[in-house]
Amino acid sequence: MHDAAKSTHIGQPVRRKEDQRLVTGKGKYSDDYCVPGQAHAVFLRSPHAHAMIKSIDVKAALEVPGVIMVLTGADRLADGLKPLPHNPMSTHKAETPLENSDGTPPFTAPHYPLAHDRARYVGEAVAIVIAESVAAAKDGADAVEIDYEVLPAVTATLAAAAPDAPKVWDNAKSNVGLDAVVGDRAATDAAFKRAKHVVKFETWAQRVTGVTMEPRAAVGAYDRESGRYTVYAGSGGAVKLKQDIAAVLDVPADKVRVLMDDVGGNFGTRGEVYPEFAVLAWAARRAGRPVKWTSERQESFLSDYQGRDLAVSAELALDADGNFLAMRGSNVSNAGAHTVSYAPLKKGLGIMSSIYRMPAVFFRARVTLSNTMMTRPYRSAGRPEVMYVMERLIDIAAFECGFDRVELRRRNLLTEAELPYTNPFHMTYDNGDYHGAMDAALKLGDWAGFAQRRDEAKKRGRLRGIGLANYVDTSTGAPRERTDITVRADGTVEVVIGIVSQGQGHETAYAQLAGDWLGVPVESVQLITGDTDIVKVGGGAHGGRGMRMASLVIWNATREIIKKGTRIAARMLECDPSMLKFVGGRFEQDGSEKSVGLFEVTKAAQTLADLPEDLRGPLAATCDQVHHEASFPYGTHVCEVEVDPETGSVQIVNYAAVDDVGRAINPLLIHGQVHGGIAQGAGQALYEQCFYDAASGQLLSGSLMDYALPRADTLPFFKTEISEVPSNTHPLGIRPAGESGTTPALGVVINAVVDALSEFGVKHVEMPATPERIWRAIHGMAPPASPNNR
Amino acid sequence: MYDFDYHRPTSIEQAAALISSADDVKLLAGGMSLLPSLKMRLARYTALVDLGALKELVGVRREGAEVVIGAMTPHAVVAASAEVHSAIPALAVLAGGIADPLVRNRGTIGGSLAHADPAADYPAGVLGCGATICTNKRRIASDDYFLGMFETALQPGEIITSVRFPVPQKAGYAKLHQQASRFAVVGVFVARTAAGVRVAVTGAAPSVFRLKEAEAALAKKFDASALAGIAVSPDGLNSDIHASAEYRAHCVVVMAKRAVAAAA
Repeated sequence: MHDAAKSTHIGQPVRRKEDQRLVTGKGKYSDDYCVPGQAHAVFLRSPHAHAMIKSIDVKAALEVPGVIMVLTGADRLADGLKPLPHNPMSTHKAETPLENSDGTPPFTAPHYPLAHDRARYVGEAVAIVIAESVAAAKDGADAVEIDYEVLPAVTATLAAAAPDAPKVWDNAKSNVGLDAVVGDRAATDAAFKRAKHVVKFETWAQRVTGVTMEPRAAVGAYDRESGRYTVYAGSGGAVKLKQDIAAVLDVPADKVRVLMDDVGGNFGTRGEVYPEFAVLAWAARRAGRPVKWTSERQESFLSDYQGRDLAVSAELALDADGNFLAMRGSNVSNAGAHTVSYAPLKKGLGIMSSIYRMPAVFFRARVTLSNTMMTRPYRSAGRPEVMYVMERLIDIAAFECGFDRVELRRRNLLTEAELPYTNPFHMTYDNGDYHGAMDAALKLGDWAGFAQRRDEAKKRGRLRGIGLANYVDTSTGAPRERTDITVRADGTVEVVIGIVSQGQGHETAYAQLAGDWLGVPVESVQLITGDTDIVKVGGGAHGGRGMRMASLVIWNATREIIKKGTRIAARMLECDPSMLKFVGGRFEQDGSEKSVGLFEVTKAAQTLADLPEDLRGPLAATCDQVHHEASFPYGTHVCEVEVDPETGSVQIVNYAAVDDVGRAINPLLIHGQVHGGIAQGAGQALYEQCFYDAASGQLLSGSLMDYALPRADTLPFFKTEISEVPSNTHPLGIRPAGESGTTPALGVVINAVVDALSEFGVKHVEMPATPERIWRAIHGMAPPASPNNR
Repeated sequence: MYDFDYHRPTSIEQAAALISSADDVKLLAGGMSLLPSLKMRLARYTALVDLGALKELVGVRREGAEVVIGAMTPHAVVAASAEVHSAIPALAVLAGGIADPLVRNRGTIGGSLAHADPAADYPAGVLGCGATICTNKRRIASDDYFLGMFETALQPGEIITSVRFPVPQKAGYAKLHQQASRFAVVGVFVARTAAGVRVAVTGAAPSVFRLKEAEAALAKKFDASALAGIAVSPDGLNSDIHASAEYRAHCVVVMAKRAVAAAA
């Protein structure tokens, strides 16, 4: 299959088909949907981190000119809307589920689309105001009177997990929703006892958010005659969103249609149903007309699902030669106010020991609830956090115990001969050349020439540091995908698939696959992904599954089309099907000049009178497949920074990445994915934080004036190289590429920063490594007294 | 955004009449601070008076020993001005380092000074140079102009028309920017003038202020080394999620030294 898959389009740096449309303003995003007769909505959100909603008085609001209706949590309750159908414990077959160590079920709480009795975080929606215009809806919102009784709140991760913390849910024993242990305690403790070296690391991978370029937006519509809802809203996939909205509305899934075209960014923040989407559908029914809402940027900061927020305490045991003996510790993940997803904790923990030989581990893993917006998987679901911890532990071990950082990694890095390898968290890695990737990255980043660059920087008064980080990522998303491919007589090929692009370039990459395997130009392939009346099954874009799943189903469906086409072509050419070869989009008869093209065959399939039933109609095939095997992207990044010792300002000056994708379908797109991913990881390392004030629970970083993102002028040109060692757990050898950039970036940037400060004996700098943090580290000063929500 | 009336006068007199006509009327210059606050419903005015049609308020010119910058001159124009580059290069550096290109193309010096954001760059340049703020009614010395956070000596009905910068012998500006907004965490403008040395600090405190101790030290010797013994107290300095008062106090001295070193 590998060789068959290698041909004209696959592996080529085809430029994105969609870019001309997008850069000339012809994209169609959720806010571009305008439905005749639509009203406009704003959501009224809790200004308190935790409060009883004692009463809501909407009388004055209804008198505001233009206001049509105000719906509250009480209305939602009366109309029987269900909680959002989250499945916080969902587990992939390749993963080991986490369970409470006391045997009780994990805590879950209903996430209602509008809060009715209690608001549990700043920004939680408590009412929707529907009006003739956004301005009128805002005026109406200003006039709604809500009597809140403010309750004690807790936002910080470790504080929330403490037994005496204010409880987010009265019916829970504590805020800790899941308290599991993994590993072999006795073996781990024994290894620590006999260890020559033990190093310890405590950290907090801070809360960040996706800041998608396109803010969330949706239009809800309801057709009274058919009793059917239509929701126009961008997401990672249309099918799951349809099912989830139907579950909230408590109607059969076929009573909801979801539509989306272009989607401007996801990173996980768009991976789960949102309260607003279901409420807009319901509001459309109640108001008797479509209702539209577009989030403003500040609202996005409050109400988009957030990411990371993991407090870790970890120890690594080594023998005298530097061999890793064991690892132990505790991870606490902050889920926010509702039980949306426990996946980041689980998915991170499963690969905590990365691609190193680790004989024993023992970890306690907890999820805590808190009075904050909910978290869920965010560009690599829990993995960047744990890779950061492992790579920091190794550098700390090297620093404290006198090992060379590169040699210590090389000594413990799994070799090809040891693969497949089941790590002590029970995850089984596929094949790969981990040492090859590390060597290539060290070369690409010119590790050997660093000393000279450091000395040169010193002359300019700058402290230059270098770091490296290895990583492994997982691909354990929804295992089922489907495509329906039709060869149309007009010379186009229609590919229907349940994975929506949010910028990845599927229109190009999937067209390369179908185009290659059907021997047609990339331009002739048209992708349909965002209409649930056409797309019936599909898992969406998440967990590194897009290319992995799409390639499988497109491969199988195109094989089927060629098989059918061969039989039709044989009738057309009056020969035996066995005499036909499919080459370059044509069915050629062996030993003759005769051939017939794919599009002629599809025409014939619709016109030939004597075809058997199964060959009639346009040439088409469906593949609906489940694929449970995970493949594991891996690689190595090398980063160099320069620090201004007087101010602590830091600049990334060199960044090299080698990422294995198994097989590169479009290297141009992969490099783009890696570049964006690095920026996202470097952003967390140096700039970004959702800053909840510990005392008030207010979000202090609620706009782009206070939430710092990396920018083009704060990043260097990246050197990225693609490694291709085909994965043996995927029929086409593919490993995901979308998360590779981010997964090691946190660790490698901080490793480089700490290396730059090594002459001051600095062991660690917390993320984001702001100028002030670095300045304090240089001077051995304690953190400032300002709020710190770890 | 709440509804408001919109006026676009064609003369200063018209503009002055319009803003005096009612309470809650606001001048609109580049709108880089005003429009976001309107959009977020943090501010509400019955009318906006857009100064965009008053072309006489745009431009940079040399008048004897002064550089005169029209109130409606965008930052990008100041940053690129040959007059400014030859007379006060530090001011071009300052203007070129404000926010991002979009803001620099819209935001104006008059708007910045009227708004008097405690972390804005221009107040440091104006106070550092000892510039004069000219309005439709009078001239205000920069030492008398900045009264506090978002607070200036401007009276109701008063419109900034230009800013007159006496050309210093040497001047420099150095800033540590806030990583999200690129406002100044600390910005220091240093100028050596015929009347003495002036050091103005923005971003660090509720309002731009002069650092007299540094001025005295630099008057003796205009060299970064003269600031070696200077320590700034964190008392009264700003503290927020981006930087503590302690760190700002430290950075005031660092930026002052850099401004002196950069002075040209």
